[in-house]
Amino acid sequence: MATDSFENIDWDDQEVSTINVSRTTFVELGLFALLLGAFLYDYLIIQNEGPLVANWDVLSTDWLFIATLITMFFHIVLPLYQNPRMRRFYWNRFKKNQIAVLAGVFLVFIFVVGVVGPIVMDPPEVRFTNRIVPPAGITATIGGATKTGTMAAPLGTDAKGRSILKLVVYGMRVSMQVGLIATTFTVVIGALVGAVAALATAIDVGWLDEVLMRYVDIQAVFPSFLLLLLLVYLFGAQLWIIIMVYSLLSWEGVARTVRGEALQRSSEAYVTAALASGANMMYVVRRHLIPNSANSIIISATVSIPGFILGEAGLAFLGFSDPTVFSWGRTISNGQTNLSQAWWISTIPGIFLFLTVLSFYYVGEALRDAMDPRQQVDSGGGGL
Amino acid sequence: MKWYITKRLLWTLVAAWIALSLTFGMLAASPNQGQMQATMSCAAVGEDPEECREDFRERNNLDAPITERYTNYMINMVTLNWGWSESRSQDVIGAILSAWPYTAQYAIPVLLISTVIGYGLGLYSAYKPYTKTDYAASFVSFFGISIPNFWFALILILLLGVPLDIIPTYYNSGVPVQQGWFSLTNFQQLLIPTFVLLTASLAFQMRYCRAQAIEQMNQEFVKVAKAKGASDYRLMIWHVLRMAAVPLSTSLVSRLLAVFWGGSVIIEQIFAIPGLGLLSFTALVEQDTPLILGTTVIGVLLAILGNLVEDLAYVVLDPRIDYGDR
Repeated sequence: MATDSFENIDWDDQEVSTINVSRTTFVELGLFALLLGAFLYDYLIIQNEGPLVANWDVLSTDWLFIATLITMFFHIVLPLYQNPRMRRFYWNRFKKNQIAVLAGVFLVFIFVVGVVGPIVMDPPEVRFTNRIVPPAGITATIGGATKTGTMAAPLGTDAKGRSILKLVVYGMRVSMQVGLIATTFTVVIGALVGAVAALATAIDVGWLDEVLMRYVDIQAVFPSFLLLLLLVYLFGAQLWIIIMVYSLLSWEGVARTVRGEALQRSSEAYVTAALASGANMMYVVRRHLIPNSANSIIISATVSIPGFILGEAGLAFLGFSDPTVFSWGRTISNGQTNLSQAWWISTIPGIFLFLTVLSFYYVGEALRDAMDPRQQVDSGGGGL
Repeated sequence: MKWYITKRLLWTLVAAWIALSLTFGMLAASPNQGQMQATMSCAAVGEDPEECREDFRERNNLDAPITERYTNYMINMVTLNWGWSESRSQDVIGAILSAWPYTAQYAIPVLLISTVIGYGLGLYSAYKPYTKTDYAASFVSFFGISIPNFWFALILILLLGVPLDIIPTYYNSGVPVQQGWFSLTNFQQLLIPTFVLLTASLAFQMRYCRAQAIEQMNQEFVKVAKAKGASDYRLMIWHVLRMAAVPLSTSLVSRLLAVFWGGSVIIEQIFAIPGLGLLSFTALVEQDTPLILGTTVIGVLLAILGNLVEDLAYVVLDPRIDYGDR
C-alpha cells in the first residue's frame, strides 16, 4: 500500500540495502518478537496449562489471530492513516457504492463484537432445564408445551439450553479468525510466489517460473474441500490446523494475480535500475514488485475471505471442524434435528453467516471499483 | 499442434502421478487411524492391544520399507485394485460405481443449466454494465454465491418441504430402482437439492462470464464488428462470447468441481442421496481409510482430466494461441 509520493519520501528509508529497518518496521518486528516470546513462555514454561494473562487462556488459533491483526495493522491501517491524500481518494471512490459502505459498517460491527464479545461474555453453557426456548416475545409449541421467550435469552436457546445469542457472538470470532488468518497466509505465500515467478522470467531464469506456475496449475485443479476433509481426518480437527491447511491449498489465485501484475512491472526501468545497482532478487520483490501490485492483492484477498468462512462453516456443518469452538456451521447443524419445531436455532446463525459473507463480497466489489484504475466509477447509484 | 497435444497428455500423466504420490505421502506421514481403531477394538474385547497392533501392521504390510510400500501402492492404484471397504463390505471400486449415478443425475443438469443461463445473464450484464438490470443481476449473483448452501437447503425444507406435501424433504433411493431415473417422483425429490446447487453454480458462472465479457467489450474487433453493422445478438454471441470462452473454459471445470465437491457432500448428507458425496462423508465418519482414499483420488483424477479437456478446448477456441513454446 505504500504509494510514496515525491514530497513525503523519507530519503533515509531509500538506501539500497537489505537490512534497512525503518521505525515502523522496527516496532512491528518488536511486536512479533514479543508475541513469539509470550507464545514460547506459554508452551514451554507454563506448558499451556491455565490462563496466561488474567483470565485469558490464549489458545493456538488466538496466537495466529493476534499475529494476523498485527500484520493487518501495520500494512493496511497504518499506511492509510499516514497517507490522508490516498485515504481520501479511495474513500471518495469507495463510498459511491452505498451498499458496500453499509456492508463495511456491518463487518466492523461483527469484527468488534467478535473480538470483544468472548472476552466480556461467559461461554455458552449447557443447561438442560432451559432447552429450546424461543426468542424473546415469541411463543412456540415444543413437544406439546407452550413456551414464550424471555429476555434471559433474547434469541432463544438450542436443544442443549445454550443461548443462541452467545453462540452467535462466539461464532463471530471463529468466522473472523478463519477468514482473516487464512487470507493473510494466502496473501503472503501467493504474493511471494507470484512475484518471484514473474521476476524469474524477467531476469532469464524461466525454469523457476515454469516450475512454480506448473505447481500452481496442479493446486488450482485440486478439489481443496475434499482434500481438506482428508487432511482433517488424518491430522485431527483443530481450528488452527484447518486454517493452515486451507490457506496452504488456496493461494494459487493470489499467486496468479500477482504474477500477471508483476510481470508487467518487472520490465519497468526502475526494476532494471535496482538490479543494476546490485539489489538482489528478494529485495526487488519486496521493495518494488509486491508494493506495486498491492491493489490487485487487496482485491483478491477481500474476495477470498468469504470463501474461507463458508468453507469452515460447511466443514463444521458436516461435523468435521474443531469440536471445541462454537462455529456458526455447527450451531446450524445442531438445529437441523429440531427444524420444524424450533426454527430459530438454525435460522439465526445462518442469517449472520449469510450477511457476513455477502458483505465481504460487496466490500470486495466496491474496493475493486475504487482501486482498479481500469474501472471507471460513474456517479449514478452504485450497488443497488 | 500435435506436439502440443502430446505434451499436454504427458503432463496429465505427470500431474496424476504427483497427485497420487502426494496422497501417499500424506497417508504415510499421518497417524494411522486404522491401526488406532484396530488396537482400540482389541482392547475393548480384552485382547492384548500390542499384539493386535503388530497383527494390523503385518496385515497391511506397514513394516515394509517405504519404497516397497510406495511401489505396491502405485501398482494397486494403476491396476484399479483400490482395496476393500470395511464399512460397506464391498470393494472400493464397486462402491464408487454404484454411487456415481446418484450424483450424476443432479450434477449434469446443474452443470448444463447453470452454464447456459449463467453465461446468458453474464453476457447481458456485460452488454449493459452499470444499469439497473446489471445491478439487479449482480445482487442475484452475490446472493447465490453468499448463501451457505447447507443453510439454504434447510430454509427451503422449512418453507417448502414441511408445509407442502408434494415436495419430499429427503431422498428415497428406492425410487430410481423401482420407477426409473426419469420418473416424475424422482424428479420431484431432486427438486430442492438441484435448486440449491444451481443457485451457487449459476452465480459463479454469471459473475465470471460478466467479468470476462466486459474485458472483451473494449477490444478493437468488437468496435469493428459494431461499425460493420453486426446486430447486438450476433455481436455478443459470435464475437464477444467466442473470445470470452477462452478464459472461461480454463476455469469452468475446476470451478464447477469446487462447487460440487463442497456442495455434493453437504447436499447429499442433508437429503440422504446415496451418491459420491455421501459415500465420502460416511467413509470419513466410519474412518474407512481405503474408501476415503478412493473417493479423494476419484475427485482429484476428475479434476486433472477436466483440466486436460479445458486445455484441449483452447486449441479449438482460440486460433491465435501459439503452441510452439508450450
